[in-house]
Amino acid sequence: MELDSIFKKLIKKDLVYQSDSLGLNLLISRLQRKYFANQTAEELESCLQEMKAFFEKYKMIMGKDLDKLSKLWEG
Amino acid sequence: MLVNIKEAIKLIEEGKILHIAADESLLEQLPKGKWIAGTTPYFITEQGGVTCKDKLFVNEIDCAVDCKITVYDRSNVFNITKDSYHNGMTFLVIPFASDIAVYYSKEAPYSNDLLMNPTVGWITGYDLSTNATAKVYDGSSGKAYNDKAVALHICLPDDKIASLGIVNIFDIDSNAAKIEFPEDTLSVSKCLVNGKEMLFADYILENNIDTQLPLVADYNGTLINVSIKSVSEGNKTVELYAPVFAGEEYRFASPVSNYAASFTEQLQSFKDLNPIFSCNCILNYLYGKLEGKSTPPFAGPVTFGEIAYQLLNQTLVYAVVTDK
Repeated sequence: MELDSIFKKLIKKDLVYQSDSLGLNLLISRLQRKYFANQTAEELESCLQEMKAFFEKYKMIMGKDLDKLSKLWEG
Repeated sequence: MLVNIKEAIKLIEEGKILHIAADESLLEQLPKGKWIAGTTPYFITEQGGVTCKDKLFVNEIDCAVDCKITVYDRSNVFNITKDSYHNGMTFLVIPFASDIAVYYSKEAPYSNDLLMNPTVGWITGYDLSTNATAKVYDGSSGKAYNDKAVALHICLPDDKIASLGIVNIFDIDSNAAKIEFPEDTLSVSKCLVNGKEMLFADYILENNIDTQLPLVADYNGTLINVSIKSVSEGNKTVELYAPVFAGEEYRFASPVSNYAASFTEQLQSFKDLNPIFSCNCILNYLYGKLEGKSTPPFAGPVTFGEIAYQLLNQTLVYAVVTDK
């Protein structure tokens, strides 16, 4: 749930995050554009599911990003 | 690695999975097998950049446990993600100036699934001193196309994973004006320059902007270039090699005085990398006078566009396979 909140903040540009992963950076930018073109709860949820699917698929190599994102939340 | 035609044929006959870049005259001689290819006579080898029509640049994909080759047109090109292996990656070659190249450049950033599978590749080209046509090859059938894309999907062992990266020698000129576009497009008329609406063509011409420099947008720390194809004073339009997007902020890149030195500087942090594929842009090769200059650890074809998920411009693209 905490991670969902972080992802939502990223999508809404309420949080700035720079990854070393090209795929993640492209994804965040794409979801931000998608959400800002249609700022509805449904679109935010759809973007969130995409973000979660990406992290699920690449969880083996996204540990560093998840740690950094969690620290952003704590900060 | 750069090989002669006999060596390339031997690798194919041994059943190796290959990505090949070479002049059309050589690709036409290859037997059927597990390979895809694209045309270009320009390469950056371990010894330096060369223009060469008697050798082929071959990437042997020995990390793959399985593969399949698929030919796509614009009606189904985004099936590449459905067709890809669950744990794998896709090499994609698309001919320059084809309908499908334009379609892919415009539509790839909207594709929901594209980022779920590493797709790396290039827009194939030709000798710029000729009127040749860019082609791609499906080695499994031996067929060549100038209007279709060819993909090599590879399956990786469970303990390996593929990832993509880029090297962009350009930086945003923080003193340059902030440019925004009202719509996603490959052909621009209006834009906002520091918030003021104007014609993009007029802005470039009136300010003597060096159009060898790309527009650069910051995608969460990854700098993405968009190169200028042409500026029409008469039509007041600017044609681009990749689309710009509404909602992104662009600035022209800072001038690069020495491309080779800039690559050398940027590549310091990549020296321990072992890429299975890389390619670099023809504009970097030409503007940067990279003939005779190497870009270790990267070697590969010089291309008319680079693909790392989506189409990129003036960028070095690479793929690595690492332990999970």
